[in-house]
Amino acid sequence: MTFKNSKLMRFLFVFLAASTLFWTGCQKDDDNPPTDEPELITTVILHFTAPDGGTSSFKFSDIDGAGGNPPVAQDITLSANTAYQLNIDFQDESNANDVKDITTEVKEEAEAHLVCFAASGVLDIPVTLDTDANGAPLGLETELTTGQAGNATLTVVLKHEPDKGAANACNTGETDVQAEFGVRVQ
Amino acid sequence: MKKRLLLNWQWLLLFALGAPALTAQTRCGLTLQGKVVDAHSQEPVAFANVAIQGSSIGAIADENGLYFIDNICAGTYTIVCSHVNCDHVVHNIILTEDTRKDFILESHGIFMEEILVRGKAEPLKAAGASSTLEAAQLGSGRGLSLGDAIEQLPGVTVLNTGATIAKPVIQGLHSNRVLLLNNGVRQEGQQWGNEHAPAIDPFLADRVTVIKGAGSVRYGADAIGGVILIEPRPLREKPGMGGEINLQGLSNGRTGLASGMLEGALKGKWPISGRLQGTVKRGGNLRTPNYFLDNTGVEELNFSWALGLKKERWNTELFFSRFYTRLGIFSGSHIGNLTDLANAIERERPLQDGAFTYELGRPQQRIYHELFKWKGELETGELGSLQLQLARQFNRRQEFDSHRPYGNLPDNFDEPQIEFEITTHTAELAWQHHPIHLLRGSIGAHFMQQANTTDRGALIPNYENYTAGFFWIERWKNFPFPLEVEGGLRYDYQWMDVGLQGRDTINRQLAFRNLSGTIGAIYRFPKLLELRFNFGTAWRAPNVNELFSDGVHHGAASFETGDPDLQPERAYNSSLSFDFDDKDKLSATLSLFYNVIDNFIFLEPQAEPVLTIRGAFPAFGYAQSDARLMGLDWQLAYEAMPGLRLESQASLLRAWNRSREEPLSLMPPDQFEHALRYSFGEDENKAPYLRLAMINVLEQTRAPAETDYAPPPPGHTRFKLEGGAQFRLGKQPLEVSLAVFNLFNTSYRQYLNRFRYFADETGRNVSLHLRVPFGLVPRSS
Repeated sequence: MTFKNSKLMRFLFVFLAASTLFWTGCQKDDDNPPTDEPELITTVILHFTAPDGGTSSFKFSDIDGAGGNPPVAQDITLSANTAYQLNIDFQDESNANDVKDITTEVKEEAEAHLVCFAASGVLDIPVTLDTDANGAPLGLETELTTGQAGNATLTVVLKHEPDKGAANACNTGETDVQAEFGVRVQ
Repeated sequence: MKKRLLLNWQWLLLFALGAPALTAQTRCGLTLQGKVVDAHSQEPVAFANVAIQGSSIGAIADENGLYFIDNICAGTYTIVCSHVNCDHVVHNIILTEDTRKDFILESHGIFMEEILVRGKAEPLKAAGASSTLEAAQLGSGRGLSLGDAIEQLPGVTVLNTGATIAKPVIQGLHSNRVLLLNNGVRQEGQQWGNEHAPAIDPFLADRVTVIKGAGSVRYGADAIGGVILIEPRPLREKPGMGGEINLQGLSNGRTGLASGMLEGALKGKWPISGRLQGTVKRGGNLRTPNYFLDNTGVEELNFSWALGLKKERWNTELFFSRFYTRLGIFSGSHIGNLTDLANAIERERPLQDGAFTYELGRPQQRIYHELFKWKGELETGELGSLQLQLARQFNRRQEFDSHRPYGNLPDNFDEPQIEFEITTHTAELAWQHHPIHLLRGSIGAHFMQQANTTDRGALIPNYENYTAGFFWIERWKNFPFPLEVEGGLRYDYQWMDVGLQGRDTINRQLAFRNLSGTIGAIYRFPKLLELRFNFGTAWRAPNVNELFSDGVHHGAASFETGDPDLQPERAYNSSLSFDFDDKDKLSATLSLFYNVIDNFIFLEPQAEPVLTIRGAFPAFGYAQSDARLMGLDWQLAYEAMPGLRLESQASLLRAWNRSREEPLSLMPPDQFEHALRYSFGEDENKAPYLRLAMINVLEQTRAPAETDYAPPPPGHTRFKLEGGAQFRLGKQPLEVSLAVFNLFNTSYRQYLNRFRYFADETGRNVSLHLRVPFGLVPRSS
């Protein structure tokens, strides 16, 4: 079979030549306009409800994302010796005309999320009330009981894919949000 | 004209000497003619000598291999056909009438070599330090990655991001400071990032040459660290078909790999050659000695084809390659902010031990690279040869963070957070002139147009980049005079138009231009020693990421900011190499280098962290300093007794920031490899062999203080065992090779692995590789 294969070879060459057209032809760019990081959470809002039904909200936001202007936090003012119901909202306000609610999504993927708290000064950390489908804590709904008057800080951390079974679950997973508020209890 | 004269002369001779025979024979005036061809290529053998033994009757074939002897009388003759480059052939013939007789000559060594040299335009040995690996030497490392395969060269180390991404580092420099040439075309992609591995199929590489230092005026000014030439197999010239199949299995990650190649060449007036090649790879989670690394699987699907046509005066080639990989990034490495990083380092091992799976989750990278090139070469006769090469490359990079973007399902279920697309067109024209006295050289021009579009993410901006470069290289050689001198000059101009970054318009135009040059000499002492010296100066314009980076690098928990006012780097590189070879027992190469780089661009930690809604990130800014890198590489082989070879090699480096008076960060620690190789037979390249290597990496004690999250890991020693054999199964030749990486399952971490904060390196990995070459023409050599 020195060269009876030339038909086969010719076929091969035609095939190759055709594949040139195919592979260079189908390679088109999808012209998406460039966007900022789409997973952006720009805003954390803490809603406090007092036993008498009075509500107040405080916001931590970084509208332009990482870099640029640093985040801005509103100072929280609370009354002493009061048990507040604390609800947390996450939003994407990067586009003022189209504010997106991220809280629903965190709720839908409750197993993969955990809201953790850290407090200093006169404040104790809130007690988590809600749970995910597995009965593990979630942290979007909590109760915060204030004691004596004074100054404090409250840090809210949203963890993604934490190991909720771990001894210190808040040290695991990826931090999506870490917002520190100044608190004045009076 | 010459031929005719010759024949006439022969004819006269024949007449004169044949005269006595004339009277004795009954029938005279017969002719004998035919063609002389080469047994392998079937090509005509020009100017072969065809003679009748015992007489002086004969003829010399013309350039088409045709010979003609006339006026012979009938009788029995012994005809000898011979050629200086071939074994002669003897035929007995009984001549009764006009006869055709073709001769097939078996060409021997010298002739074959000549063909090779002519066909490949073998590059001259560089004056700077360089080393080459052939396909067989690339060996089992190809199953890991291209970077791992070439790490075995002295002076070459790798920069890893986890176990799945490996970038070659030459004498401490990498990324944009090292140029990759894929089949003669500058590889253009997003090679700037530490976690951006070369997008080239390791099985496409038949030969890899590493040129160290800033000596390469030919390939581009910006290669101040060196050049890696990756060459596929040359196209087949011998008519027929052939190919090979490579199958490899690796125990770690239960990785399977198949690579096939089919090649063919037509004979006749249009000797077209073609080659089709492809590789499929799949691997699952890798394992360290103590735990699995979650989400470290890999998938690769590559193919390439080439078509070529080679004529006497010109040749042309089309080449296409496509590379696609999906690879998992170790999930334990993806962290939110500095606190998460501190937690991860403190844990000392990943939170979850993981399990084996082929499933690829997030974080993930998907990388696509295609190259289409055309090359034409024309012999311009008296002047030399002219070469034109046009190429288009397209590179798409997608990075998927550990969780999908927030937003409405299912639109964004499979959406990356970062997506870049780079399209590059290059044109290169080179003219290689015929030797003028003792000077050989070439002059050429290189043009490039490149556009980057960022579809997602705002880490780097959209830009367009135009470059033009001109080079001129000459080499003086007066064989057998022992000195050889080479010099080259290059001028480059680069213009960059930077547009949108995220939602911001940058709208900046930048231009850079400068000269680079090299001068080198090779001096051969009789027989044993060769000395090579090279001095080169080169420059590199700051890359777009160094100018405009703006964002969080998730794997590293760092916020990186570019500086649009950066100046180009300028390198002055001197190297001195000694090649010793006693052609018997000892061969050794020692390379010393001293590399001064002004305006060396590096990431500098900033005093204030960047505050974001995700917490604090340490800030890094691109800065410039004067740097110095010096060191030495050696490679040594000693035949202690027949079959047993001792091998040793080392890569030593000292890198210093001259402005800050402190060591440069992320520089490879000193590394040694000592090996024992035993071959069970005479022929070292074919006999079965076993090789045991000890790889010894020292701790990097020269790192800048307090700029790293964790101190450099301690040094370690690991072992590698390799073995191979070639045999035949019936008529089918087979090659089997076995390799065990990290033989004793040692736990260790590498300073140049960005994931050293999170996990150990991979454990023992047993690789079995089977190579099956085949030919569809029975007479294969």
